[in-house]
Amino acid sequence: MTAPAASRLAGPRRPEGPGRPAGPTGEPGARLRDLLAAEWTKLWSLPSNRRLLGLGVLLMLGLTAQSSLDAYRGWPGLDSDQRAHFDPMAEAFSGAGMALLMIGSGSLGALAIVGEYATGLIRTTLTAVPARTRVMAAKAAVLTAVTLVAGTAVSLGTFLLSQAILSRRGIGLGLADPGVGRVLAANALLAPVSALVGLGVGVVLRHTAGAVVGTCALLVVVPGFFKPGVHQWANELYALFPSYAWRNCLGLRHPPHSEALPTVAGSWFAYALWAVLALLATLLVIRRRDL
Amino acid sequence: MGRVIEVKGLTKRYGGVLAVSDLSFTVRPGHVTGFLGPNGAGKSTTLRMILGLNRPTAGSATVHGVPFPAHRAGLRHVGALLDAGDAHPGRSAAAHLTALARSNALPRRRVDEVLHEVGLAGAARRRVGGFSLGMRQRLGIASALLGDPPVLLFDEPVNGLDPEGVRWVRGLFRRLAAEGRTVLVSSHLMSEMENTADRLVVIGRGELIADESLAEFAARGAHGSVTVRTPQAAALAAALAEAGAEVRPADAALLTVRGLTAARVGELAHARGIPLHELTPEASTLEDAFMQLTTDRAEYQAGERP
Repeated sequence: MTAPAASRLAGPRRPEGPGRPAGPTGEPGARLRDLLAAEWTKLWSLPSNRRLLGLGVLLMLGLTAQSSLDAYRGWPGLDSDQRAHFDPMAEAFSGAGMALLMIGSGSLGALAIVGEYATGLIRTTLTAVPARTRVMAAKAAVLTAVTLVAGTAVSLGTFLLSQAILSRRGIGLGLADPGVGRVLAANALLAPVSALVGLGVGVVLRHTAGAVVGTCALLVVVPGFFKPGVHQWANELYALFPSYAWRNCLGLRHPPHSEALPTVAGSWFAYALWAVLALLATLLVIRRRDL
Repeated sequence: MGRVIEVKGLTKRYGGVLAVSDLSFTVRPGHVTGFLGPNGAGKSTTLRMILGLNRPTAGSATVHGVPFPAHRAGLRHVGALLDAGDAHPGRSAAAHLTALARSNALPRRRVDEVLHEVGLAGAARRRVGGFSLGMRQRLGIASALLGDPPVLLFDEPVNGLDPEGVRWVRGLFRRLAAEGRTVLVSSHLMSEMENTADRLVVIGRGELIADESLAEFAARGAHGSVTVRTPQAAALAAALAEAGAEVRPADAALLTVRGLTAARVGELAHARGIPLHELTPEASTLEDAFMQLTTDRAEYQAGERP
């Protein structure tokens, strides 16, 4: 495996040294565009990530097809009261779908950084580009973009598939029906919010299993126990959790109006709050740690 | 262009443990500088502080006069191999290097060039997880070379390489230095440095022991000894001691002599009519010098310390 002479490093090295101090500005490379390209390469070149994304979207479409076909077959047996309470959107994307999408995206986000810590790659990455904040910002941007595309594919795909099946009973909905657009946006945005939370938890915990379990607990498991109650402060606290806000407001075409339940504006705020706090934690913690 | 890497008063404390203590040295271009010390001496911690990965408790480390983290495109300034590649096992070697090249806006062809350079061209599409330790070392060297940097740091690069690989890597380091680059190579084995390094920085328990040329370091070692075999060991030992030598009997017929040359031992024996069956000068080695200087400063030693 001796290296042949032809492959020698190119030419004499560049002039460098005290005469030409390499300052943080004005030197080529490490533009944000380059960092985005690098992070995209890292994400897409891992077969496990491609599997998680591809199979995840297929799994959710499969679940939608199954539950929509069940509803299609069961429709003639429903009485008028049951028909009045039937929500066609729940067949497309239910609470289980919400949990799956959040767990999948959260894990993708957590693995994007704990995978670097666990393998030592983080040292290679930050030796190549010592500007830690920029590297993590690029990583967060790529994760957000990829999970937004995947979330939109799931949200739109499940809706169109489900309504195609249900419309044969005349109970399907169209994209222009009231509330549909908001629910679809809320479904899709669960993915990037969860991915950013996963990234933040991953940077803080740096441990693979701990980060994945912590992300799932924070996003899905713990809020799963929350129920609107008589204590208004508790209701207001619950409303700050994205999955709770989705379940009780954003995921419903006609959210019920109640003091105890989150509002549409408040629910969007919960989404944004988690995304922003997770991003801030990511950018601040990475600056301080030894590697 | 005297001092490319400058370490001044560098100190790192982990809780109550002082990993690196007030360490100062400089590394110059055009040489291979060996960075030597027993396990746990603080070599890796020092290299990581130079690269800005670990924050020093006190002191500073600069590359070309500025702290390394001030460089944006790190690969173009310093190439580093820290821990057998530090790569994700799920990615192919080519994908790993491609991501690094992109982050520094390096042309795509550099990936193929360095893979060829380190002899991994045939394994470019294989997952790093399936690589042997030696192959991962080569991948790490490839990533260090990627940006064609003027400064190169290698932490224990020889671990896991086969004999052919060891010879290759020595040649590579010497060539990089001959091209005018600054090359710092850490190791816990003196024998690895003997044929590679021109200069040595030796540390033990986080403190500087030596910062000098290889020749100067060798001169610090134990003076040579002479092994002599004779049927009249007692008589010869008395004669040599009389001439001022330090004599230690190894067994009934074998003596180890310090303080006299082999020629002088032979002459003294001849003068007294003592027959010799063997007379061997033992040169002092770098290994001896290294052991002598670092033994009492090794972090982990076999057996109980008195």
